[in-house]
Amino acid sequence: MASNHLTGIGSESKQLATWYFTFAAILFGAQLLFGLVAAIQYVMPGFLYGILDFSIARIIHINALVVWMVFAMFGSVYWLLPDETGIETVGIKIGKLLFWIFALAIVIVVLVFLFIQVGPASDTTIWFITEGREYIEAPRWADWGIVVVALGFVGNLFLTGMKGKQTGIVTVLMADMIAFAGLYLAGMFFTDNISVDQYWWWWVIHLWVEATWEVFVGAIAAYGLIKMIGAHRQVVEMWLWIEVAMLFGSGILGLGHHYFWIGTPEYWWEIGALFSALEPLPLVAMFVHVLYDWGKTQGAEMAKEHTDEYQAKSVITNKPAFTWFVLNAFGNFLGAGVWGFFHTLPQVNLYTHGTQFTAAHGHLAFFGAYATILVGMFYIAVQGTNGIKVLKSTKLSIWSTSLITGGMLVMTVALTIAGYVQVLVSRAQMGATWAGYFDGQSGVWFAQAMDWRLIAGVVVFTGFILLAIDLLTTGKNPVHKR
Amino acid sequence: MANKSVWSDNRFWQRTATWVTGFASVLLIWLTFDTSAQIAMGNDQDLQNKVTKRVPGPTVINYKITYEMSAKRGLEVPIIGGNDGKGNSLFQVKEKFFGRDDYSEDEARALLHLGKLGEQAKNCMDCHTLLGNGAYYAPDLTKAWLDPAWGPNGAMQALTGKNTREEAMAEFLQHPGQYPTHARMMPNLGITAKEAKGLVAFLKQMSSIDTNGFPRNFGKIKGAVNGK
Amino acid sequence: MIDPSMIRPGIALNDFLTIFVSSALVLVFGGFYVGIYTAVKVKLLKPWTMLFAYMFWVLTAYCLYLMGSLMHVGEFTAKALVVAAIGLFLLPFAVYYMQNQVHEENEH
Repeated sequence: MASNHLTGIGSESKQLATWYFTFAAILFGAQLLFGLVAAIQYVMPGFLYGILDFSIARIIHINALVVWMVFAMFGSVYWLLPDETGIETVGIKIGKLLFWIFALAIVIVVLVFLFIQVGPASDTTIWFITEGREYIEAPRWADWGIVVVALGFVGNLFLTGMKGKQTGIVTVLMADMIAFAGLYLAGMFFTDNISVDQYWWWWVIHLWVEATWEVFVGAIAAYGLIKMIGAHRQVVEMWLWIEVAMLFGSGILGLGHHYFWIGTPEYWWEIGALFSALEPLPLVAMFVHVLYDWGKTQGAEMAKEHTDEYQAKSVITNKPAFTWFVLNAFGNFLGAGVWGFFHTLPQVNLYTHGTQFTAAHGHLAFFGAYATILVGMFYIAVQGTNGIKVLKSTKLSIWSTSLITGGMLVMTVALTIAGYVQVLVSRAQMGATWAGYFDGQSGVWFAQAMDWRLIAGVVVFTGFILLAIDLLTTGKNPVHKR
Repeated sequence: MANKSVWSDNRFWQRTATWVTGFASVLLIWLTFDTSAQIAMGNDQDLQNKVTKRVPGPTVINYKITYEMSAKRGLEVPIIGGNDGKGNSLFQVKEKFFGRDDYSEDEARALLHLGKLGEQAKNCMDCHTLLGNGAYYAPDLTKAWLDPAWGPNGAMQALTGKNTREEAMAEFLQHPGQYPTHARMMPNLGITAKEAKGLVAFLKQMSSIDTNGFPRNFGKIKGAVNGK
Repeated sequence: MIDPSMIRPGIALNDFLTIFVSSALVLVFGGFYVGIYTAVKVKLLKPWTMLFAYMFWVLTAYCLYLMGSLMHVGEFTAKALVVAAIGLFLLPFAVYYMQNQVHEENEH
């Protein structure tokens, strides 16, 4: 059993991590709120028309998503660095300064999105208002700010990793984070050629969410398994390297499945199909790995105590976080794997590309693969900063987890049904024209699916409120073992 | 302790991961060079010389563009300036764009540049999809230039009181609130007449990009589904 | 007009649902296969349940076949799908073998 040095008191790196986590949670709330606005607009198109149009609600919805995840990822790294390297993070003062610069930049960007919204067709707009490229709309000045902040963060990580103990997890994170930061540069130029634009845009989007972010999740899952159930480091780290090989091996060229229809040559069909077919394998493997480690450590505990499953002491030291980590293994497999795979082959993607299918996949994948594990990290931080030995589930944590997860599943199913209507009506029968598009949108099934999506959105938001309350209060709750 | 097997050796897997990642990256970079050459934008010379480019140059706005089945490739391709009957472009038939079909390379490039800037400055992709990417709140714009709705018998020319595709589109873009086509209306984005012209040029040029047959059956109403 | 027989077949309208359901089931069944396999190996399930694991793999392979044929995939993609099916079959063996090896070496 690995010992638990979870106490975060006195570590500046962990203090900075909690700042990152707090700001991430606030942005998470903003993401959901603006998602609700957009969902209402699908049902009532007149809602806030001309004040906060769909495009603006959606920009904030998806940018808050990306940014809260990046914040929570930075926070996770600052959290685990002292544990892994055995030393205080190097350059923590700069880290703290960069946090405030990053947070301030985000606030300014959001205010500009909200109140200025669009600009004339000029370079000034691209530099100061919006870049208008999905997910990375932030204007160019903010891009440079992000590059500076990311460089500072990667610098801290490298200096700490090289000075302290360089574990496998830290090594993977170092390599992964430099790729993660470097890829952002691929999205920072303007071109008149929309095909070239999209080609490089996918380098940022795909190579983030289907390669570097997935590897990041692998590293965090490894850290979590060691912390929470005392999994054996040797096993976990060897596994992490296998995951890196599988994820990058399939994910890097899996980029091909975005190059079917953007003007790029036909050979991407074959490359995209082959590597997309392989992309679910690491996700399945990650899921097996969690099951294996849990079964082994719990089994060992049972053997030691000579008792059956129900009497044996649970090996889990943080129930809510572990729940979110398990949901991550499932969610990654379901959202990224199942929902990704069924529209990835070019033959069927020809009809599903750019429909609500993509939205269904996007929602479940971002939630399942990333939101879950990052919320898990929030709980690990709550445990650490409050010096708790065993953090138990509370009524609130169980309710919030169930509402958020249940809501996301209903939302995904609703969007999938909407996508199916769109494929049949707008695409296969009507050939994707203006008239075909609106025929599909007006169908009863489509309209009902949008109602259900909104209801599910409200459920998720309610769950989020409960989650926020739980995160703020559970640390002081006397039920936990100290 | 048993002999250490290579399969459970951390360093073995670390090296495997490095090699696999390196190999995949090198392959991607190599493919990127090839693709970049193939999707580089053509120029007026190419159009004059009847060279088919995946992304034609800006002066493609001087030509008539259609979207037709290529027997050889088994998918729909953009046809520029007339079809030779086998799904290849003839680059002969011109078409007036705001009254002219003699835009110079520089003029057309400036229009396209303005249009692409406008597309980003107005956040088009946060409601529409372009090449299938973007948001799903409004119709796909990949082949919007060719949409029958803007054609001679389409609803939009009558609605906007204009006689050509480009004028109808430009009018709509400037005052979308005046021409509600659906309960879900496009908001007024302060698009000027000049910007609208650029945006329409951008849309026309985009419709001439070879998208490997996406979207399928575009503009062919019901019953166009192949297979069973 | 071009001879319609020259057109590469698209997907029949009635086949879309089957394609979506079968391709979603590929991984669901695949997940059951590796899940049951691992659970039996770490003794969370009784050994005879392994039969179900293999049954699920067969179902996975069938779904892949069904999906591929209805989509009219080309030769290359068909091969890629076969590789994926075999890869999925071998995956839990490989994962278990390696994990176990490390465990043995480190804990005994």
